[in-house]
Amino acid sequence: MTLPVRAVIVAIVVALLAAVPSIAPAIIVQFGISALIMVTLAQSWNIIGGYTGYTAFGNSVFYGLGGYGTAVAMVQFHLPFAAGLALGAALAVVFALLLGLPVLRLRGQYFAIATLGLVGVMTAIVSNLDIAGSNSGLVLPLLKGDTLFYELALALALLTTLTVAWIARSRFGFGLIAIRENEEAAEVMGIDTTLHKVLAFMLSAVFSALAGGIHAYWITYIDPAGAFDVTLNVKMIIMVVFGGPGTVLGPVVGAVLLSAISEILAVNVTSFAGMFFGLVVVIAIVFMPRGLTDVMRRFREVGWRCFQENVRTYRV
Amino acid sequence: MQLLWQILVNGVLLGGLYALMALGLALVWGVLRIVNLAHGAFIMLGAYVCYYLFAGLGLDPFAALPVAMLVMFTFGYLVQRGVLNLVVRAPMFDTLLITFGIDVLLTYFAQLAFTADFRAINPSYAGDNFELLGATVPLVRVAAFGVALLLTFGLWLLLMRTRVGRAIRAAAQNLVAARLYGVEPRNLYAVTFGLGTALAGAAGSLYGVVSQVSPYIGSSLTGKSFAIAIIGGLDNPLYVIVGGMVLGIVEALTALYIGPTYTDVASFGILVLVLIVRPKGLLGRTA
Amino acid sequence: MRHFVTCMLAALALGHSAFGKPIELGASIQLTGPLANTARYYRDGYQFAVDKINAAGGVKLGNAREKIVLRMLDNQSDTNLSVRQYVQLVTQDKVNFLLGPYASDFVLADSAIAEKYGVPMVQGGGASDQIYSRGYKYIFGTLPAATEYFGSTVEAMAGLDPVPKNVALLYADDAFDVSVAEGTRKLLGSAGFKIVVDQRYSSKTSDFNSVLSLIKSRNVDSILVAGHETEILNFIRQAKSLNVSPAMYAFTVGVQSDDFRKALGRDAEYAFGMTPWLASASLKNDYFGDGVQFAREYEKRFGYEPDYHSAAAAATVEALIKAIEKAGNLDPEKVRDALTRVDFDSVYGPIRFNTVGQIEMPQTVVQVQGGKLVPIYGPKGFIEKPLYPMPAWGKR
Repeated sequence: MTLPVRAVIVAIVVALLAAVPSIAPAIIVQFGISALIMVTLAQSWNIIGGYTGYTAFGNSVFYGLGGYGTAVAMVQFHLPFAAGLALGAALAVVFALLLGLPVLRLRGQYFAIATLGLVGVMTAIVSNLDIAGSNSGLVLPLLKGDTLFYELALALALLTTLTVAWIARSRFGFGLIAIRENEEAAEVMGIDTTLHKVLAFMLSAVFSALAGGIHAYWITYIDPAGAFDVTLNVKMIIMVVFGGPGTVLGPVVGAVLLSAISEILAVNVTSFAGMFFGLVVVIAIVFMPRGLTDVMRRFREVGWRCFQENVRTYRV
Repeated sequence: MQLLWQILVNGVLLGGLYALMALGLALVWGVLRIVNLAHGAFIMLGAYVCYYLFAGLGLDPFAALPVAMLVMFTFGYLVQRGVLNLVVRAPMFDTLLITFGIDVLLTYFAQLAFTADFRAINPSYAGDNFELLGATVPLVRVAAFGVALLLTFGLWLLLMRTRVGRAIRAAAQNLVAARLYGVEPRNLYAVTFGLGTALAGAAGSLYGVVSQVSPYIGSSLTGKSFAIAIIGGLDNPLYVIVGGMVLGIVEALTALYIGPTYTDVASFGILVLVLIVRPKGLLGRTA
Repeated sequence: MRHFVTCMLAALALGHSAFGKPIELGASIQLTGPLANTARYYRDGYQFAVDKINAAGGVKLGNAREKIVLRMLDNQSDTNLSVRQYVQLVTQDKVNFLLGPYASDFVLADSAIAEKYGVPMVQGGGASDQIYSRGYKYIFGTLPAATEYFGSTVEAMAGLDPVPKNVALLYADDAFDVSVAEGTRKLLGSAGFKIVVDQRYSSKTSDFNSVLSLIKSRNVDSILVAGHETEILNFIRQAKSLNVSPAMYAFTVGVQSDDFRKALGRDAEYAFGMTPWLASASLKNDYFGDGVQFAREYEKRFGYEPDYHSAAAAATVEALIKAIEKAGNLDPEKVRDALTRVDFDSVYGPIRFNTVGQIEMPQTVVQVQGGKLVPIYGPKGFIEKPLYPMPAWGKR
């Protein structure tokens, strides 16, 4: 497909999506907001996890900082929403820079656990900050109506996806992929790996933070447990892994699909939702460790055997 | 001064229990390279087994402990054999995700089976204590400390002196070579994981005596176990003793001098710091 | 679709008449998760009240009588999920009115939804000041102010012989307990008590050894703890194992509930607690008879003794119903206005909301004596003699 044709298709899809609040019932709009926020989070993880190959388990820190920046700005200093978002994003970027430098020197599981540790530290620190409402959290000012949040979430998801699309074909992006495939070789080739990794981390931070800010204002509430929620990280990773890490549209597919499944479960089965989520995760990892796109591609070639092959490759 | 001594005693005793909690995790992590996010859930299940043996059959918790260990060993063996063996060689985040899924499932089933009510394993001697140079020492905590040391020593013996232990260590170092020597990985991995969950079960039983049992105690214990394993160093599961002591004492001191709400800042802070400065842990050999 | 099915099932189940549709009350409760243990009092209290009112014929609306239907969702003790569920109840399920969750943290967040969509919420689970200090118009509560919780206890302490020399104040870091602590500090100050330990602890901790050691080293006479049942249980057990024996200790929750006393057995003796409600025959009501009947029927149906949470929950439902009947229709604005004027007697006590929507009710100080809950001090002074000072652990 040529670029102009693709651009037109994208424009049509976006226009349709933007029109949703005016034509669809409130429940669809709300689902849309959650799903779009998840798309943004999935894509931002994709930058550091999918393209750079650093499995971060701590993106929820950026999400939480974005949410808290917005909340504190609006509740304690009575600033407008835009200022709040900016503060949240700034906090997250600074955090990514200052802590990214030491933490990105670690590899593999140590990096993952370090980011997980950062989530624990931030949750504990924020629950002691009175300006952030300590453990009880903050209640944000009320804004009636969901349209603003929907359009913002859509714009953010679009921006993040376009950024990933740019990364996929830029020198910066090739540098990231080189780091993922073989970091030593990339160093030898002259790529400044530290610069690339930290920049990727900071990009990841900005988008996660903005998503967090929108979410906080939307549900008018933020508290440490919800803002820095550890399971959010797992959800992000699953969505990307499900859809296809290191691709542009994989995370979008993964995020929308998983949001839909989880929403349907939460609304209809509440108590069982948790169990189904766990079950889905286990089954998906066993049979589809490299994602849906991978399975779909191989299904065309070998049919149902692709599941068997997946298991055989990774079992002991 | 008196207060400081009491706090240190509290910290050391807590540290012993902490070490036991992390022992199973460190074993599985170091040997199988499985980062078990469900570790806390296994501790929780062990606590329930002990509770029901205590409340239902009247068994003293310290007598019920070996039984709980056996039950948890079998359960862990089956989990590894049936589920985890299927993804052992997948990229690392796959094991992280799958153990997360298992954690969700186990917590859910625990809630369903045992209800959300909190239980306590409360033997008649639960409140007994004695004085040691001015500090009050709770009996059950000393007993838990003793059991923890015993089991750690037992694991050391097992790894160093038995055939199974040697096979486990060989498989950890080089699976291909181990297989050439006749090690059957599927069974061995399951045994190793089973050992890990058995130790978690022991920790859970003791935890139930000094604290409480509910389906939700798992997640915070997983976090602490990770911190302890990292602080000590993953080269050798026995390093958790150091990790546990450090964490126990730091938490006790933090609670007193800074405030009880800051203990998590301290624990996770140390975890991150150790990873940044000395990723192999306090005792590990630098890479 | 779901709404339709709920209505049909409700109509079939209640033998509903052909006109109108039943009044739907929505709530998101912690049916599972760490708070489920206490939230079940609300689940059962709400259901009990709804069934009693329906059995009496339902709500009088104009010339007809309508039944009530309860729609309860499980928020799994997750505040964020509860917020989303209230949004769902209002926008998708289109319930008529809202009943609140348990715990101030939840009420704080969920009441914002009631306010945002203009649907009145009456709750009996949150008492923190923050809930009522935002100028919201659509939130009403049947729990008295958190800051006053230790009011009767401090008064009683001033009347003890000998008066405690100093006090330790411990509180968990959630909205309710922080509120309680703020108020208690002022109360203790006015009464002339010296606070020598003042510590906030994390709701997730189960280890009180450090603070207990501190308390012991400062020779504290009396301890006041504002926290949750699980923590208080741990606190008492650890106090025993560290040999910490103050002259008295008092707790905001736990003491008044049955399973707490069962879990501790004899170790629960001498503990002081508080409750705004005791099952008494003087609390008469149209639907339940009186307080004693309420407690008896509740225990028979649900298998455990009710405490003030259950009574508050039942009163909450009744308050809403009385307001609907006063307004004569289901318009949210009119019912909201009617709520500001309700004034009736329930098995929980007299129900009247003050200007910010909160009830005013004094707490009765109780103590565990011989396995039973004995009322010690109420608004009119001492009722029974307290067992004070508490004997040391080794001497019981």
